[in-house]
Amino acid sequence: MLVVMSDLKPEHQKQKQKQQEQDVDLSVDLAGMVMANPVMTGSGTSGYGPEYAPFLEIASLGAFVTKAVTPGERKGNPPPRTVETAGGMLNAIGLANGGLERFLSDKVPYLSELGIPVIVNVAGRDPDEYAMVCRALDEVPCITGVELNVSCPNVSDGLDYGTDHARLESLVAHVRRDVKRAKVIVKLSPNVTDITATARAAINGGAEILSLINTLAGMAINVNTFRPMLANRTGGLSGPAIKPVAVCMVHKVYSKVAREHGVPIIGMGGIQNWRDAAEFMLAGASAVAVGTALFVDPTIPNQICGGLRTYLAGKGMSRLCELTGMLAN
Amino acid sequence: MMTMATKPGTSHPALFDGVVAKNVSICSEHFRLTIDCPPGVTDALNLARAGQFVHLAPPRGEAEGAAGGNMGTSSCPVPLLRRAFSIAGLRDSLSDGHFSGGGRQFDVMYRVVGTGTRWLSGLRAGDALSVMGALGNGFPISDTKRHAWLVAGGVGLPPMLWLAEALGDAVTIGDTTAAGKVDREVVAFAGARSVDLLALTVDDPSVVSRDAGVASLGAKEFADVGARVVIATDDGSLGFHGHVAGAMGEYYGQADVQTDDLVVYTCGPEVMMRAVAEFCVARSIECHVCMERAMACGTGTCQSCVVAVQDESATDGWRYELCCDDGPVFDAERLVWG
Ligand SMILES: Cc1cc2nc3c(=O)[nH]c(=O)nc-3n(C[C@H](O)[C@H](O)[C@H](O)COP(=O)(O)OP(=O)(O)OC[C@H]3O[C@@H](n4cnc5c(N)ncnc54)[C@H](O)[C@@H]3O)c2cc1C
Ligand SMILES: Cc1cc2nc3c(=O)[nH]c(=O)nc-3n(C[C@H](O)[C@H](O)[C@H](O)COP(=O)(O)O)c2cc1C
Ligand code: FES
Repeated sequence: MLVVMSDLKPEHQKQKQKQQEQDVDLSVDLAGMVMANPVMTGSGTSGYGPEYAPFLEIASLGAFVTKAVTPGERKGNPPPRTVETAGGMLNAIGLANGGLERFLSDKVPYLSELGIPVIVNVAGRDPDEYAMVCRALDEVPCITGVELNVSCPNVSDGLDYGTDHARLESLVAHVRRDVKRAKVIVKLSPNVTDITATARAAINGGAEILSLINTLAGMAINVNTFRPMLANRTGGLSGPAIKPVAVCMVHKVYSKVAREHGVPIIGMGGIQNWRDAAEFMLAGASAVAVGTALFVDPTIPNQICGGLRTYLAGKGMSRLCELTGMLAN
Repeated sequence: MMTMATKPGTSHPALFDGVVAKNVSICSEHFRLTIDCPPGVTDALNLARAGQFVHLAPPRGEAEGAAGGNMGTSSCPVPLLRRAFSIAGLRDSLSDGHFSGGGRQFDVMYRVVGTGTRWLSGLRAGDALSVMGALGNGFPISDTKRHAWLVAGGVGLPPMLWLAEALGDAVTIGDTTAAGKVDREVVAFAGARSVDLLALTVDDPSVVSRDAGVASLGAKEFADVGARVVIATDDGSLGFHGHVAGAMGEYYGQADVQTDDLVVYTCGPEVMMRAVAEFCVARSIECHVCMERAMACGTGTCQSCVVAVQDESATDGWRYELCCDDGPVFDAERLVWG
């Protein structure tokens, strides 16, 4: 049989490239929380796990992040709770959830089978409420981390930790005292003048990981009826529209505060594909979360991992974690 | 790319790219879109029932996972989030359909009201779009009641077309082995602001009575599946002059129907559904309401689409359920109207 050498070469190269992609190490280590890949879900955009199981193999995520859990049940805001805006959406869910007890009895059994790090988003009315929920979660072995939601713009009783740095620091310190095992992650609000000051307060309080950004306060008005589009009047903006803001904030927090303290960042805000994820990592994130884009396509996290492999192999890089903060001057 | 699913309950949703078979205007503002589906999702689609919906978006970017919401072109922006549409019919694709090896096709009917529906109205045969579905729960079909009334206002018509077909297919009710088989009487009540906004084919308007007590075979879509129709227009341009809920009330007054032998299904504007639901609840008539809410995920994750229902165990007697996951069809007796 005649073998034409020139035909062999591309095939050979293709296989070599495939091998290089396979060899790329996507794992990341966030303050001791080891993830097989950097892609997690954004709190509130993937429920408590089973909801997206028909479409996405949850166990293939780097980590799973739950919707907020509060001490007691919360009904949340009246509808309409969401509205699409240019390149994004506003939401005012209002932390609707069944409360801690129901979370422990109804949701934890599923989460404990996942075999990946599970992070529970926590919200409360005061430091004692946060600490109470975190203590209970700290007892549950499958829960790797607690993410303090100190930045929800949609609840009228939401304390303004974003602007009161002393209170934020003491809240984080309070939780850190009570939580023995789980990682303490603090989720930062973009609705502040200087996010690096908030980041510093969280780190001073003992935050082990920072996640940013939560939604930007926003509003949309129906000009025919003169009424706000959301029953809650205002909401939080998410989706591709906020990505440049989020990348900028990750860059600032990383370069001015987090790097020097060795505190890793989970970057989020408008991520839709591997390019967006790479952008956040170059700005200083060690991992990324996909939120709003899951509503459109729950399989995006898997696609991002595939895309990152090809990207890194093309750049001749073998370890994803080397990308963090590689922004050129 | 295609993802199959095994979700418990009535929905067994799949995520796939379908292809437009046709997209035709049926009256001013309304279109009927027919989508061919790959054979791989036939099993999932065959589990779909009238009342369930699909969530539609521009096709997914290959490999890169680029979600929609690139801003489209300036003349036709595309939506970021998916848009929900009731399934209006399901059948085998035509032999010249897009996918070789058969497959099913389904219809949606839509009214152009904003970005998403304008995007849909620009689709041509052969264009791809991303489909998530079937989602939610369908209408329960009683196999004992001999009278089924379908009350639809405006864009509430699409699920009723498929429901009428399903009820027609199961036209023989009761114990089919027994000698005394009974046929089900299906009457559709279709309302619109004006005749040119009525998304039905009425070839001979003179067949349609102005008396709401008289149902006719005047609407082709319903007549084809053996259902008679009462048409109501707000401006009196065809059929009964008034609201469709009022038309149903008039028909009820003149009909000889036992309340326990009647089931009412309704879909349309909330004020209309509320009137129908309250009419039925007051008379202990079984009634199923297909609710509509602004949705983001459509799959029970985001908590956008809440509907208030009675809950005796709650201190204030009610709680929220999700339109997408617990509904969109709700038992009228459970609903708490705002
Ligand atoms: C389960 C379900 C089934 C549906 N079935 C159909 C159907 O068969 N045919 C059909 O035409 N439409 C149906 N709808 C409504 C359809 O989803 C909306 O018309 C569509 O999302 C509007 O998108 P748009 O981008 O064109 O409009 P937008 O630009 O999003 O909005 C235009 C206007 O419509 C209002 N609007 C937007 N979304 C909704 C909504 N979900 N409910 C009520 N008002 C809304 C907005 O407030 C605004 O005033 C259904 C909705 C649900 C939840
Ligand atoms: C519907 C919805 C619900 C959310 N709920 C929460 C929540 O409970 N707790 C929280 O910390 N963030 C919540 N968020 C914020 C997201 O986790 C994320 O920080 C934000 O949406 C930005 O990412 P994205 O643009 O990828 O969505 C929510 C966002 C959306 C859209
Ligand atoms: S639309 Fe997201 S929960 Fe119903």
